[in-house]
Amino acid sequence: MRKTVILLLGLAGVALFYFTFVSAGKVFRSDWQLPQSPGEKQARYRLVLITQELETPFWGKVGAGALEEAERVGASIEVWGSYGKNREDFLKKIEIAIDSKVDGIIVQGLDAEEFKQLTKVKAAFYGIPIVTVANDVPMADSLRRTYVGSNQYLAGQLIARQLLSDMGSTGKVVLLGDSRREYYQQQRINGIYDVLKEYPNVLTEYAETTDAREQVISATQDLMNRLPDVQAFVAVNANTAEAMIQEIGRRSRVEPYHIYSFDDSHDSMSLLKQGKLDGVIEQSPETMGRISVNLMTEWLSGETVPLDSNGYFTEIRMLKAADER
Amino acid sequence: MNGIQKKIWTLAAVVLFIMAAIWIALTYYNQKTQDQYNDILQRYLRMNEVTTASQQTVTSLNNYLLSPSRDNLSQLEQSKEKLRKARIDVIELRNPGNEFALTNYMNLIDSLVETTERSLTFQSEKETEASGNAFSEADRISKYISEMSLTLLDAELKTYDRFYRGIIEQSAELKKLGIWLLLLITFLLLLFTYAFSLSITRPVLKLTQAAKELSRGRFDLRIEVESNDEISFLAKMFDRMRININNLISEIQQKAQLENELQQSKLLLQESQLRSLQSQINPHFLFNTLNTLSKKAYLEGSEETSDLLASVAALLRYNLKRLDRSVTLYDEVRVLRQYVEIQKARFTERLRFHTDIDESCLYVQLPGLTLQPIVENAVIYAIEPEEDGGEIWFRIVDGADRVTVEIEDDGPGMAEERIRQILEERPVESEGGHTTGIGLGNVVRRLRLFYGCDDVIAIESGRERGTKVRLSIPKARESGKHDQASDRG
Repeated sequence: MRKTVILLLGLAGVALFYFTFVSAGKVFRSDWQLPQSPGEKQARYRLVLITQELETPFWGKVGAGALEEAERVGASIEVWGSYGKNREDFLKKIEIAIDSKVDGIIVQGLDAEEFKQLTKVKAAFYGIPIVTVANDVPMADSLRRTYVGSNQYLAGQLIARQLLSDMGSTGKVVLLGDSRREYYQQQRINGIYDVLKEYPNVLTEYAETTDAREQVISATQDLMNRLPDVQAFVAVNANTAEAMIQEIGRRSRVEPYHIYSFDDSHDSMSLLKQGKLDGVIEQSPETMGRISVNLMTEWLSGETVPLDSNGYFTEIRMLKAADER
Repeated sequence: MNGIQKKIWTLAAVVLFIMAAIWIALTYYNQKTQDQYNDILQRYLRMNEVTTASQQTVTSLNNYLLSPSRDNLSQLEQSKEKLRKARIDVIELRNPGNEFALTNYMNLIDSLVETTERSLTFQSEKETEASGNAFSEADRISKYISEMSLTLLDAELKTYDRFYRGIIEQSAELKKLGIWLLLLITFLLLLFTYAFSLSITRPVLKLTQAAKELSRGRFDLRIEVESNDEISFLAKMFDRMRININNLISEIQQKAQLENELQQSKLLLQESQLRSLQSQINPHFLFNTLNTLSKKAYLEGSEETSDLLASVAALLRYNLKRLDRSVTLYDEVRVLRQYVEIQKARFTERLRFHTDIDESCLYVQLPGLTLQPIVENAVIYAIEPEEDGGEIWFRIVDGADRVTVEIEDDGPGMAEERIRQILEERPVESEGGHTTGIGLGNVVRRLRLFYGCDDVIAIESGRERGTKVRLSIPKARESGKHDQASDRG
């Protein structure tokens, strides 16, 4: 009896001690220290990548490539930008970057007066180098150091050639462009025209619209009304492709039409997979990010001065729906 | 310091120590938490300060541009100074999560200051439009700073998320700890107090019980108290007292016994002396007369009568002299024979006396007049009442360390009650007046006193089976034996 009582008391005592110490350990353990200020080691360069379309697959890849490269070369980089081509926000970000005196700005080119004003005047005033990526703005307008991205003219040519091989050398083609007439889209259109002008039997109809869905739809309606026997569409602005295809689909089947676009929109790839797009120009966003950061750091450290003002072109290739299936 | 006090002090010290330890730990913990809260608040306050300072700067600039007075200028300078200070404070907020943003933030502040100055410069050069542009830029930058502050705060919340959660968890954990601690301390204190009180009360209880036993008169129980304080000292003293009392009591008992024995021997002596005095009325006259009678009988030719008278005279002399002194068995046997001669003269053929004596052991010592009263007893009870007399056997047999003397008769035997009376030395009603004066009880008592042991005499008897008295006389009578025997009480 006495032994049992002593045993029970002992067990109770041990249990109490155990729980108390475990609890005390939890309370007094200080593994949640305040994050310490980083040591003297600061990144060599502070770079900013600014885009108009955050969170699209294309720009996600650009950002990832840039971050990876920055990590490698020991620069710190942040990806800023606006969502859904919010121009005002985008410009504000650029201004903040300039006022924050970052070492270099890698930016998706925007062929607009405000953009040029910022890069040409303000950035130059603070001596901050600008590199355009994916979409170019001519150097004369933007004082950019260089351009990293696809050769949009070549991309246009590639589309035109694909169109010819799919459709034959006779037919009507609609080119749906952006009413803002951005430089890179102009390049694409130039590329397309330069190929097609060899083929007089191919009639091209150029139309412009904004990004807005209703606009795209009405433009498409209008085009199809005017050219009922159109055989091919090219969405020069990738963002218009989805609405355009939807409108075509409402009138008839989409399959007989030859529809082409580019991959810098978030729905290009899914449309291709569904077979609604017949071909997409695939660019190399990760390479763009990588090379742009690399060139920027090289320029900043004086390794490569000056940079090639014509730009550094990354790989492009034609993705066909037939291949995807 | 002495035991019980020390124990109480120890208990108090333990309790005090535990309380102090808990107090210190909690205070430390509280302080630590407070510091952390302060740090966090400080961070937020600093960021907020930057926003405020930047807005103030822009406001001051605006005021100055509108009315360039000295007052407004000094106010502008003040707010710029404030902004610079805030910028320096902000440097300390660096951590890996916000390094980039923070650098931008500080550069933004720099830009704001620069733009403000540019605006002032243009103002002083009367370039109002450029100054206005610079002002609007400064205004924008100020807005960016506000936004950036929010961004930083946001980042801060993200970075410190785990930290904040940790704090919340810890405060929950602290509650639990409090409960556990309370339980633990209660448990320990109960245990300690129990052990402590037991260590005081148990010895007291034992002592109380010992005292109770003592008061009841039991002095033979040892008092054992195992503790290391005053109680054990008290118990030791108590035990010593008990032992002393015990010794005193046994001493008194021994003394009383000795006295008792002494009294008895004295009484015995007095009795025999009285008797001898009674029979000594004129012993020498009687003795001389007997001798004269013996001679006369001899001269008259009655030799048998003469011998008988001589025997009586010898017996009388022996009887007078030998009562209080030890004699040899040999002497006893000789006197016994004379006595038997006398009795034979009386009973003639009715008394048949047989002896079987081992002559080698007649040297042993025994008190005087022991055998004769026994034989006399046998004669009185076994021979006298019977018409055709009886037989008496007398044997002396040598044993290992004792000599056995047996006196056996074939008379009617003795009652059990009477044997017990004799052996237990109880007073018996007086016998007939025709004895030599010394009863069997007297013999038993003297034998026992002489040898110091009870088994020296044994009586076997039964109705119509005769009586057998057996004396076992030790060969060597040790000198100390008498004393030892008296010790046993």
